[in-house]
Amino acid sequence: MALAGLGHYPSVADAHDLLARIRADQGDDAAAIAAWHAALECDPAHVGARKGLAFVAFRARDFTTAERQLELAAMHAPHDATVMVALDRVRSVQPGAVAEDVPRLTDPASGLLLYDMQGMRLAGGVGDDGDETLADAVAAEGAGLTREAARLTRLLGLGRTRHFLVETADARIAMIPVADDAALLLHRGAAIPIGRLLALAGRAAQAADEWLERMR
Amino acid sequence: MNPEEWSDALRQLTGITGVLGALIISADDGLVVAETAIDELATADVAALAAALVSRAARCTAAMRSAVPSSIHLLAEQGAVLAVAGPPPLWLVAVARHDAELGRLRLLLRDFAGALR
Amino acid sequence: MRVLEPWVAAPLTELLGESGARLALIMTSAGQVVAQHGFTRSLDVMSAAALGAGILATTGELANVVGAPSGFGAVVHQGGQQGVWLAGFDTPRGRWIGLVVFGPESSIGLVRLFFARFAEQVARAAPPLVPVREVLAEGFERELDQSLRALFGAG
Repeated sequence: MALAGLGHYPSVADAHDLLARIRADQGDDAAAIAAWHAALECDPAHVGARKGLAFVAFRARDFTTAERQLELAAMHAPHDATVMVALDRVRSVQPGAVAEDVPRLTDPASGLLLYDMQGMRLAGGVGDDGDETLADAVAAEGAGLTREAARLTRLLGLGRTRHFLVETADARIAMIPVADDAALLLHRGAAIPIGRLLALAGRAAQAADEWLERMR
Repeated sequence: MNPEEWSDALRQLTGITGVLGALIISADDGLVVAETAIDELATADVAALAAALVSRAARCTAAMRSAVPSSIHLLAEQGAVLAVAGPPPLWLVAVARHDAELGRLRLLLRDFAGALR
Repeated sequence: MRVLEPWVAAPLTELLGESGARLALIMTSAGQVVAQHGFTRSLDVMSAAALGAGILATTGELANVVGAPSGFGAVVHQGGQQGVWLAGFDTPRGRWIGLVVFGPESSIGLVRLFFARFAEQVARAAPPLVPVREVLAEGFERELDQSLRALFGAG
């Protein structure tokens, strides 16, 4: 019946949401996820779809995705108590987890950018909209910045660069070399404490190193 | 701040444990405007390289459509270079060992850079 | 980049790469060109060499007049879009002069830093002097022609 309904009303987000819930109950998480994404295509503010995606992620122990989906749901439904309860539940499973998004290389809107020393983007992006042109431009300039930092530390006898921070009126940016031929850049708003930015960047650099190893 | 006050500020900065030198540079030219440092520190080289780093950082933030850099902080295995923007084109730069009190140094740099005129 | 003395090539390559210089001219204090980068016409090279040597010679006289007998380290002219750095340095081959033209992508500080390194590297890289052989009149034209071809890559 749900499928029949979708056939008649393919642009109704609730119909996709219903199908997704059925699929999730049947244990077909892949189909459920697809249906919830379809719901979001119809209605990007569909809280039910976000909660559903969070649920299957939580079930798969992907707490990072679960937290992110619930935070997105909370943006559209700040007074929805069920979302808040679910968020608390997810966060309680990860003691010490930081409140903000843990940046992921696979998310082009994560503000996390990995590039090589020729200025080519390897993964990630900057900015909320995942603009690839912007990300490529930042990768090109980031490589120049990384080389300049390396030149300074070499000529002043300071050893290898550990990290480089830039503060502006509206942002804080951390750059960390990853292996000999790549570097990572993490872009956040100016309100983030420096220490937290560096901690996030350090974790991201570790993940980036592992990602590069797998690529090779 | 007049040049005498600049010197006093630079002396205070180099008084922090682990700081090897402090200088005011012209970021446009990469030249030293005022300095206080221990003998081994090549302040002219620091000025040139720090200015180049500031320039690169500005290009990066511009590419990100962000504001111009107001401070930079480079930590390496054996030392650190911190710089804070004063009134253009001046920047206040400090070079320190990696185990220096960098948090305190950073705060002082911001205070003094804001007072540079 | 064109060099008359091959051992100048590596230091000059580093100077150009690190300083971001647009033009570079290395010459003896008499104005004889040793190496150049970025110039496209021999006339420009010869003119720049003669003018550069003349400026430093004049500056040396000025140093004597104002009571700085050891001279001035460098002469810098900073324009709106370009700057010029002109400095003498000692080599095992005698006093040479470097002229470096740079744009906004570089700075006086960077040129100063890497020019000093260049001068040190040239001094270290210079091979032992060989006895100067007498240049006979009939060989002069041939040697001048060879030098110009080496600088402009015509042969």
